[in-house]
Amino acid sequence: MSWIKVCKTSEVPENSLKKIWAAGGVPILVAHYKGGFRALPPVCPHMEEPLEESGVIAGCVMTCTKHLWAWDLKTLEMQGETEKPLKTYETKIEGDDLMAFVEQELLYEFDDEDDMDDDSFFNC
Amino acid sequence: MTITVQTKTGEFKFENDEGTETLLFAGLGAGLTLPYECATGTCGTCRARVMSGDVEMAWPEAPGASRLNRGKGDVLMCQSHAKGDCLLRIPADVAAGDAVAAPRRFSGRIEDLKKLTSDVVDFEIALDSATNFAAGQFMVMTSPVVEGGRSYSMVNYTPETDRIRFVVKRKPNGGFSNWLFEEAADGCEVSLFGPLGKATFRPGEDGDLVCITGGSGIAGIMSILDHAAQAGHFKANKGWLYFGVRTLADAFYVEELAELVEKSGGALQVILALSDEAASAPTHPDYPSIRLEEGFVHAVAARAMAEISGQLNDRTIGFVAGPPPMVDGAIRVLLSEAKLPPGRIRYDKFS
Repeated sequence: MSWIKVCKTSEVPENSLKKIWAAGGVPILVAHYKGGFRALPPVCPHMEEPLEESGVIAGCVMTCTKHLWAWDLKTLEMQGETEKPLKTYETKIEGDDLMAFVEQELLYEFDDEDDMDDDSFFNC
Repeated sequence: MTITVQTKTGEFKFENDEGTETLLFAGLGAGLTLPYECATGTCGTCRARVMSGDVEMAWPEAPGASRLNRGKGDVLMCQSHAKGDCLLRIPADVAAGDAVAAPRRFSGRIEDLKKLTSDVVDFEIALDSATNFAAGQFMVMTSPVVEGGRSYSMVNYTPETDRIRFVVKRKPNGGFSNWLFEEAADGCEVSLFGPLGKATFRPGEDGDLVCITGGSGIAGIMSILDHAAQAGHFKANKGWLYFGVRTLADAFYVEELAELVEKSGGALQVILALSDEAASAPTHPDYPSIRLEEGFVHAVAARAMAEISGQLNDRTIGFVAGPPPMVDGAIRVLLSEAKLPPGRIRYDKFS
């Protein structure tokens, strides 16, 4: 796959989130923060909460209201006690269109923490 | 028996005599900072994988167990007892804290049980020994007549005390709350483990306080405001409490709240949000320092924050307590209307 059109930039006002089914049936969460856009998988990497509902953007920071995991959308830095980074699709704006580079759908590893099977994870 | 835990921050061991305590309480009691939130099977935070040994989960249908990988031996530590030595993996940072200040087991007796409204009771527990707790903490209480533990936040704030106060709202099918309402619970012996919980007001903290709560969620907030008033916190900081109830007749602790407003010299404002009836006057008929507003508490707080967010100092702390939808809505208000960073919000979500 390649660059695909996700939505018009005017469809997602600043400080809001919108889930869009992009070409190829890939769900993309568009996040409009102060100064830019991000294209993300639509769930919180913590416990799979749907961020379109549970997410809040204030300034550059997106917070999931369920357990207060938060990220700076500009730098992608994790805030506070957040333990997993966000995955993002590369984006660009062409005219009024927000475009995302989608090679394949980005998914988080939830199932049940393969890291529990990883001995090095436990420093032992 | 010896429990060994492998964590992200190294390996720890603790003893669990006879396996009478859950793995979570035994580990916390030994001073380990094991991960937990509700401590009663709902949230799933205290997940661990049993690598070896025999561990029994008392309540396999616990809501917090729904995401566990049972095939790989995952359990909730708050619901599990060891049957012998065992080895666990916990996917979290854990540290060995101070075992003396750690939470522990108490026995206590229910005293001074009284009905505050048609569906709210409060009572004191006379503990078998004194304890220190932080304002906003809770204990898990078990009674001889109802199965399973329930978490209740302390209403009072008293250092080194053997008397703690709880408030309980009756639930339609709540075995525990019905026992407190209908049976002769006054004078009954109960068992408690605590103090627990991190949504606390810490000594020496500086900053305005914005508290949003509903129903019995007021418990921990009362303790926080009481501690703040005792510590002179409102000399230099302001406070806002938005307390949601259905009708004026469902409101409780109004007299105590009016006293807190007075103690704060007016720096604390208390707003009762009535969800099911119109506010017949701008202030409470008996306590004019308590304001009345109509609407769900997070909506009332949202309207107010749009106006007062500019007055909040940059160290403002938000406290939220209540059932999950109310807490989620209130957190949204604190982030987007009060403009608080997520790190300055503390919540106690119960279900």
